[in-house]
Formats: sequence, C-alpha cells, structure tokens
Amino acid sequence: MKILDIAFKDLTRSFRSAFAIGMMVVAPLMLTGLIYFAFGGMSSGDVGMTAIKVGVVNADQLPSDSVLDAPIGDNIRSMFFDDSVKSWIEASDYTDEASVRAAVDKQEIGVAVIIPQNFTTSYMSGEKDVQVLIVNDPTLSIGPAVVEDMVTMMVDGVAGGGIAIETIMERLQANGTQPDPSQIPAWIERYTNWYRDFQRNLFHNPDKAALVVVAPSAGETETADPLTQMMGLTMAGQMIFFAFFTGGNSMMSILREHEEGTLARLFTTPTDRTKILMGKFVAVFITVLLQGLVLMIAGRFAFGVQWGKPVSIALALTAQVFAAVGLGVLLISFVKSTKQGGPVLGGGLTMLGMLGGLFTANIPGGMPKAFDAIGNFIPQGWVLKGWRMALDGSSAGELLVPFLVTVAMGIIMFAIGAMMFKRRYA
Amino acid sequence: MSYAIEVKNLKKSFGDLQAVQDASFRVEAGEVLSLLGPNGAGKSTTISMLSGLLAPTSGDGCIMGHSIIREPEAAKKSLGVVPQDIALYPDLSARENLVFWGKMYGLRGAVLKTRVDEVLEIIGLADRQKDHVGKFSGGMKRRVNIGAALLHKPAVIIMDEPTVGIDPQSRRHILDNVKDLNRQGMTVLYTTHYMEEAAELSNHIAIMDKGRVIAYGTHDELIKMVGEQTRIDVTLNTEAEKVLTAWRATEGVSKIDSLDGKVTALVDDSNRVLPRLFEAAAKANVRITSVDIQEPNLETVFLHLTGRALRD
Repeated sequence: MKILDIAFKDLTRSFRSAFAIGMMVVAPLMLTGLIYFAFGGMSSGDVGMTAIKVGVVNADQLPSDSVLDAPIGDNIRSMFFDDSVKSWIEASDYTDEASVRAAVDKQEIGVAVIIPQNFTTSYMSGEKDVQVLIVNDPTLSIGPAVVEDMVTMMVDGVAGGGIAIETIMERLQANGTQPDPSQIPAWIERYTNWYRDFQRNLFHNPDKAALVVVAPSAGETETADPLTQMMGLTMAGQMIFFAFFTGGNSMMSILREHEEGTLARLFTTPTDRTKILMGKFVAVFITVLLQGLVLMIAGRFAFGVQWGKPVSIALALTAQVFAAVGLGVLLISFVKSTKQGGPVLGGGLTMLGMLGGLFTANIPGGMPKAFDAIGNFIPQGWVLKGWRMALDGSSAGELLVPFLVTVAMGIIMFAIGAMMFKRRYA
Repeated sequence: MSYAIEVKNLKKSFGDLQAVQDASFRVEAGEVLSLLGPNGAGKSTTISMLSGLLAPTSGDGCIMGHSIIREPEAAKKSLGVVPQDIALYPDLSARENLVFWGKMYGLRGAVLKTRVDEVLEIIGLADRQKDHVGKFSGGMKRRVNIGAALLHKPAVIIMDEPTVGIDPQSRRHILDNVKDLNRQGMTVLYTTHYMEEAAELSNHIAIMDKGRVIAYGTHDELIKMVGEQTRIDVTLNTEAEKVLTAWRATEGVSKIDSLDGKVTALVDDSNRVLPRLFEAAAKANVRITSVDIQEPNLETVFLHLTGRALRD
C-alpha cells in the first residue's frame, strides 16, 4: 500500500509541474505539429488541397475512316473523371462552349476544358492549329495550371504517338512493306507503354509518374496516404524520444527528494527502503505509460495517425515503457544531483535518440546500412522498429522479436539501475 | 526505571573521522533532553543514528525499549523526527503533505483524517491547509515540518535544531509547542546550539563536543560544575593576541578564549582579577573598550569543560 502512496504522491507532483507536462505531452505534439503543418496537413489527415472544379465540353468526334477506336477527346475527358483524381478534381460535363464559359463566369467552376468537334480529325491530319481551349477563372492560379499541365501532357503523349506511327509507317514503306492500318491500335498501345516507362525514369520514382494512375485497391486504409504515413513515423519518433526523457526526468525525483531532504525523512518512517524505491519506480512506469497513451490518442485525432492493430500497439507501447523506464533508472543511477541530471538526460538521450534513428525515420530511401546497424544496439532503435512495424500494420506475431528484445533490454537496464540505487540508498 | 531513549556506547565513523565516539545517555519517559554543542559536535549524527537514517559503526540505541539495530521498524513507529532542514513537498498543500506523512506512519482512513485535522489545529494552520507549502513563510514551513512528525502520536519526538534561521516570533511558537507536547507526555530529544533554548526546555542536558558527551545533568547540576567561577566578556580595540598570553598567566584566570576581538574568561573572583587584567592590557598598550561580567551559565560550563566558547 505504501508503494502506491509513494507512487501517487510522485504522480501528483509530476502532473502539477508545468515543465514535466510540457516535456511529456506539449513538446512532442508541438514538434510533430510543426512538421505536420510544414507539409500542409490539416486536421482530417488528407493532403488538404481544395478540389479543382473542372467543366469539360467534349465535342470531338471520330471520323468514319479513323483507325482509332475512340476520339482523342474522349481520352482527354476521361482523364478528369478518373477515380484516382476524384479527391482533388471535381469534373462535370457541359454540352457546349457557351454554357461552360457561363459556368466559369458565375464561378461555378474554376476551369473549362473545351475539346473542339474536329479535334481528332485535325490532329491526325497533322494540322498545326489544332487546340484544346482552356478557359479559367482569373482569380485562380494553381487549378488552371494543373489542368493545363494535364492536358498538355496528354496531348504531348498523343502527339508523340502520332509521330511514332508516322515513323513506323515510313520505315515499313522504306523497307518495301505496305503498312497494315489494323495494326495501328497495337502500335499506339506499345507507344503508350513506352511513354509510361519514360515518365517513370524521368521522375526516378515509379510512384511519381504524373500520368500513371493507379486506383487504390479495395480495403486499402488511410495509411496509404503518404502524409499520414509520414506523420505516423514522425509522431512515433517524437513519442519515443520524449518517453525516454520522461523516464529519466521522473526518476530524477529521487535525486530531487534527496536534495529536498524528504528522502531522508522517508527513511526515518517505518517504511522499508525497498518499498520506497519500488514506489518511485511504479510512479515512473505509470507516468511513461500514461504519456504514451495520451500522445497516441492525441496523434490519432490531431494528425490522423493510424497506429496499427490493437495488439501490435499494446506490444509496441509496452516495449516503449519498459525501455524508457529501464534506461531512465540506469542513467539516473549514475547521477549524483539534479544539476548533473539535466545535461545527462538532455545530451545522453538526444545522442541515443539520433543513433536509434528517431530523427531520421522519414528520410526517403532510409539511412546507410551502417547507421541502421548501430540502432540494433540502442533501445530507442528497437522501440522505433516496433512502432514502424505496428504502423505498417504488422501482426503481433511479427512484432514479437522487437518486443522481446526491447523488453529484455529494459529489464536488464532497470535491474542494473535499481541495484545501484539500492546500494546507494538502501 | 523505564527509559524512552537509551544510548549505549554509540559510535559512528566516516573513514578516519570519528563523528560520534562512545556516546551514552538516557532519557526518561516524559522528559526533555537537550543535546547541546557547537556545530560539528556530533549532535545531528547521533540523532541520525537514533532515527534510523545512519547505521551505527558500533554501540546501540533503544527507543521505547526497541533496539534501533535489531528492531528498527518498531523503534521508528515510536518515533517522530523533525529534521533540521524543511523536509516537505513544496508543490503539495499543507494537508496533502500531512496526509502523505501520516500514511508513511501507517495511518489510514478516518483515523488519518482526524489526526491531520488535529495536527493542523496544533500547528495553527487549519485555515491555510489547502495552500501549497512552497508559498508559506519560513516559520509556517517549520510548523508543518513539526506537524508531520506528530501525526502518529509518537511516544518520543526528536527535534534537530528546529529553530535555526527563523524569526523570533516563530521561534517562540516552536518552543511553546515543544513545551505543550512534553506536557502531554511526549518525550523530547532536542538538539540545539542555543544554550538559552536548552536551559528553558530541558529536564536534562547532555553537552557534546568533538563527538563525545562531555557532560550530562540537569541545568543546575551542570552550572555547579564551574563552582563559584564568573564569566567575563571583554572587548578590545585591537587584536586579542597582543594581551592573551599575559592574561592567560594572570592569577585567578582558569580558562580564556578569544573570537572576533572578543575575549571570554573564566575567573575565580572578578573583583580581584579584573584590575589585573586592566593592568596587563595597559602594559601591552591595548585598550579595553567594554567589560561584561556574567553569572555562570551553560556557556560558562562549556568554556570550563573545553577551553572554548560554545559559539565556536
């Protein structure tokens, strides 16, 4: 019972300290929030761009003798109605140029895309003045630019296709072979595939090809959103760093009590010294656990972080608590006064946090292998591994190794620290 | 005879330093014993051992018959300790502090609540019980510091220089508290280096110096140790060294010590000795600026026993 009394007293003091609350909850949320707003996040967790309202007039018609299956205007139109762009483009059909211009004037839409009646015919015959007309609200800048880029890229692609077909036909004729017009759709498909690969190479990232549209698979969760994914790791990194700080800072209460004289007074009461130490350890454990829970809930609601499956979350959080308490007890057991404690916690934990990868978790392509290897010797590195897996949706079974390693590290550090404290005080 | 506190050949060494050497004394139930001595005499080390804070190097002590070595928990249950420095949680209220310390002495529920209310009345802070201790004045903190040791109604209370560094009004309040507690039957072991406090409060006084108990008795018994000797305090216009050797050799001077330009001497008959002191001072070209002749007191006893003034 006295163990809980001591723990409750320590918790009361901790939660009355503005500094402790600041370092426990406010600082990690503020730092994560800064990163979040720097990347344009909003409270819902999406990218936050306002949908561009586009009106499309597609008057294009396929000439009767065309080798194409559908007019090119249909391809341009379909680009704005594709499921993959629905979150940021709101497209609607208009019957004629007058009605779509009127809609722009009334600011019902931001951009009008007008594909003329003879677009395919003119385009295929190589006319130079063929054009898709874009009319936009003059007060807007980003939306029309995006639409223009999309149309340009589409038209460029088609133009490239035309050139490719012309070249094929010329080469065939030069070789004395008469081209078969029924082959043209297959050539266009081959060109399209090549153009997609070209774009991928151009952006050096298969995920960033501008016109490659991949519809999300059924059942895919919010974590697929890159911002939300990034915020998950950022929040986890901050939470881990400050959990370790809280572990050490809470354990410093024993030094504070020593300096305030209350520890000596506790020793004059009929309370076993081991119980006094246990009470302080329990307080640190509960503080770090509560901090983790508060930050997880805050991260979910403020930044839309999907922490993972419940059992995986429980394992990652438990591992974090064990490691943070263990390292806190161990570090403070070497410290003689609260004056020494500040630099030891600040410097030591920042260094270990860096080596554990807490501040580099979001670097594209990751860190060099040697750096990652160092993380295997650092408790923070293992805690981060656990959270990374939980965030990726790993199961409890998959999380078992980082969980066991982290808990074992925590227990060993705690045992050494507790032994040192017992030797000093008990 | 039942003793509330019994100290037998208590010893404490810190490396080569012998902080307490063979200290022995007894305190009868219901009386006040003052441990009197200068800073560093071993008073705080002695009570630290009795309160379970330090383990003795050798010897033993008993609180209400319980050995501090063999039955430390039982000894501590009979004991309330008021530390020299304020040992409270500044960010908890006076009531929260008392509740916590009450729990550490095993009090729970209604008993704890009643005792906290009673103690708040005793220390005169019932109306400020919800205020954080950190906001209190030094005197108020001292009162809570004492209150925390009274919650479990201990048979013995140890107070380590509880009046150091506080204003006269708070000091008076604390001394009155000690007397009240003693009247209620509590045994008090009180350490101080103020001889007036020891004289006012104590049934018995143990004088400590350099880790040893050098005298023990009632106030009157201790005064008798110096016989008919009188204490003379002399202030000079220059350093005492110029005349101290001559005065030390003067007939009728038994002990002499100087500090900060003030010389304290123990003499057999002040009427006869004082002219000789003036004569020696004149020869050494030293001018006496003031003379204070005092009847024997505890300071005189200490000077008599150690050759040094208590204020050293």
